[in-house]
Amino acid sequence: MKNKFFRSFSLPLIVIGMILIFSFNIWGQEVVVDEWRIPFLNCVTGPIASIGEYMSWSANRAAEEINAAGGVRGKPIKIEIIDTGVSKDKAMEEMAKVVDWALVVMGPVPEACIMAAVPIAVKAGLFCMISSTSYEYTVEYFPWTLSWYPPTEEKLPPITAAWAELHPDMKTVVQFVEYSIAWPPMAKAHAIGLESVGVKMLKDVDVPTDAVMFEPLVLKALAQNPDGIVLTCSPEKAAKIIIELEKKGWEDKSKILVFSSADDTALYTTGGKSLDGISIYNYINLYLDDPRWQAFREAYKKDHNGIEPASLSTNYYDSVYMIKEAIENTEITGDPSKLGEERIKIRDYCRNVKGFKGIQLTWDMTDGVPTGKGAFLFVLENGEKKFLAATK
Amino acid sequence: MSEVLYYFLGFTAIYILMGWALYLPYRVGQLHFLIVACMAVTAYFGGFAAREWGWPFILLLLVGISIGAIIAFVFSQAIGKAPCFTVVIVGLTSVFIVKTVIENWELLGGTIGFFHIPTVKYLLPIIYILLLIVGFLIYKIDHSRLGRAASVVFVDREVAVSLGIDIKKLGMFFQIIACAIAGMAGILDAFFVNSVSPEFFTFSMISYLMCILFVGGYTTMWGVILSAFILQGIPLLFPSEVASWRQVIYGALLVIIILIRPEGLISRKMLWGLKPKFSFNNK
Repeated sequence: MKNKFFRSFSLPLIVIGMILIFSFNIWGQEVVVDEWRIPFLNCVTGPIASIGEYMSWSANRAAEEINAAGGVRGKPIKIEIIDTGVSKDKAMEEMAKVVDWALVVMGPVPEACIMAAVPIAVKAGLFCMISSTSYEYTVEYFPWTLSWYPPTEEKLPPITAAWAELHPDMKTVVQFVEYSIAWPPMAKAHAIGLESVGVKMLKDVDVPTDAVMFEPLVLKALAQNPDGIVLTCSPEKAAKIIIELEKKGWEDKSKILVFSSADDTALYTTGGKSLDGISIYNYINLYLDDPRWQAFREAYKKDHNGIEPASLSTNYYDSVYMIKEAIENTEITGDPSKLGEERIKIRDYCRNVKGFKGIQLTWDMTDGVPTGKGAFLFVLENGEKKFLAATK
Repeated sequence: MSEVLYYFLGFTAIYILMGWALYLPYRVGQLHFLIVACMAVTAYFGGFAAREWGWPFILLLLVGISIGAIIAFVFSQAIGKAPCFTVVIVGLTSVFIVKTVIENWELLGGTIGFFHIPTVKYLLPIIYILLLIVGFLIYKIDHSRLGRAASVVFVDREVAVSLGIDIKKLGMFFQIIACAIAGMAGILDAFFVNSVSPEFFTFSMISYLMCILFVGGYTTMWGVILSAFILQGIPLLFPSEVASWRQVIYGALLVIIILIRPEGLISRKMLWGLKPKFSFNNK
C-alpha cells in the first residue's frame, strides 16, 4: 500500500520539486532587470564625430546580435549613447549622471574626456570599459579601467620593424609627427622599431595641428634625403602630405607608412588615388576568413557608403561582447542593492578574461593588459588593402 | 547634493569667473584671450606643485592669482592701450604658444596630459565664496570712477583722452585684474577636474567664453552669470539627443541675441529701467 502510494506520487513530487528549484533559482542568481542598460560616453558631435559614429554603430550592432540570440541571461542589452561632444565638463556631468546606476560604462571618448570623467567613476567604484585609447591613458586609472592595447612601446615597434624588413634598401626614415593626444608616444615607438632593425631616424618634421599648407613640411622632410617616410598625424593631413610628396616626385609609395590612427574615412576621401601603393598598419585584418567578421564588414560597408571598417571600428563591438560574457559568467543580477559588488565582479572578469573571442582574434587579459594582440600591415592597391604582415 | 548638480555648479562658477575675466578688459573694448593662456599656465602649475611638491591649495590659489597678474603685467606694457584686434591676436598667439610649450614638456605629461591632481575638501563652497568675493570686487570697480572711465573709453577713445583718462593705465589695470581672476580659475579648474590636458584649452573654450559674454550681455557683470547658468544648463535640461546639438544651439543663440538684443540678455539700460521699481528712495 505504502509503496503504491509513493509510486503514484513520486513523479508529480519530482516535477513539483524541480519547478520549485527553478523558480527559486537555487543554482543561479535571478536577474532583476528588464534590460541591461549600458551607457556609452561617446563623441557623436564635434570635431571627431565621424569616429564616434562608427564606434556607436559597432556597439549597437553587437547589442542587436546579442538580443537576436536571446539577450544576456534572457534579457535584452541596450546601449545608451551619451554624447560627450569632446567637452570635459559635459563628459564629467554625464559621468556623474551614470555613476548612480550603471553596472559598467563604456568610454568615455576621447582622451580629454577620459582624463576629466574617469576620476568620477573611480571615486564611485564604477568600471570604465575604455577601448579606444592607448595604454598610457587607461593605466592611470587601473584597476577601474582596462587597456585595449598593450603598452605603446611594446605594441608598435614590431610593426614598424616588419615594414622596414620588407624594404631592406630603406636605410633612413623621416617621421611626420603631429603633437596631439597619444601620437607623440606612438611616434617614439615607431622610431624604436625602425632603429631596432638598423634604420636611421632622421629629424622629425612637426605637423602643426592647424596646418593647411604642406609643401614647406614636405620640402623640409625631403631636404634630409630619406629613403622612407612615416606619417603620424591626422588622416586628412596624412593624405595631403602624400599628395604633396607625389607632386614632389616621390616614387616608391610602399616606403610611406601611415599609422593606425590615420586609417580613417578622411584619409581615403582626401587622398583618393594618390594613396595607391602606400603602406598602412592597423588592428583589423579586412580579409580575415571568418563568417562573423565578413558579416560585420559587409554590414559596415552597407551603412557607410561602401567604406571599409576603420581601425577602431571593432573595439566597442568586442567590448559589448566582453560585458555580456562578464554578466553571464559572474551571474550578475542587476539588483541595485548589489550594485557595488556586481561592478567589481564585471571589472575583475574583464580585466582577467582568458581566451576572449573577439571578432578579429582571440586574446587574454592579465590585470587589465591584453596579451597576444598584434597589428596588421597592408599595402593599398586600387583602393584596397592587401595584407603584408602581422605581428603578435 | 547629487553629483550632476555638483559638477554643474562647479563648472558654472568657474565659467562665470572666466566670463568676468573676459568682461573686464572688454569694458575698455579689448577682447583679451590671454586669460585662457593664464588659466592653462596656472592649472598646470597648480596641478604639478600640488602633486609633486605637496603645496597646499590655499598657497597655490595665491600663487595662481599672482602668476596671472604678473603675466598680464608683462604683456600689458605692450598692449595696455592697443586696439581690440591687436589684443585678440596677442591673446590667441599666447594660447597657442602656451599649448605648444605644454605639449612638448614631458614633465607636464606632454600631449597625454597631467593626471592625479589631489582633491580638496569643500571645494565647491570655496569656489562660491571666491566667486562672491570676485563678484563684489568687480561690482565695486564697475561703480567706481574706473568703471565710468572704462565706459567712456569703450564709447570713444578720443573723448576719453580729452577728459584726461589715461587709456593705457586703465587698460593695464583691467588686463591685470582679468588675468589674476583667470589664474585663480585655472587653479580651481585643476583641482575640480583632478587632471589637466592641453586639449582643455582650445579654441572651443575661447568661443564658449565669448558666447557667455555676448549672450549674457557685455555691458554689465550680471549678464555673464545668467548666460553661464543657461549655457551650462542646456545639456542638463534637455535629453541627450537634443543636448548633442548644443554647439548649434549656442551658435544660434549667439546669432539671435546679436540680432535682437545686440547688448545681450542683460544690458545696462535694462538695469537702469528696473532700478526705480526696487529703489527704497523712489517713494
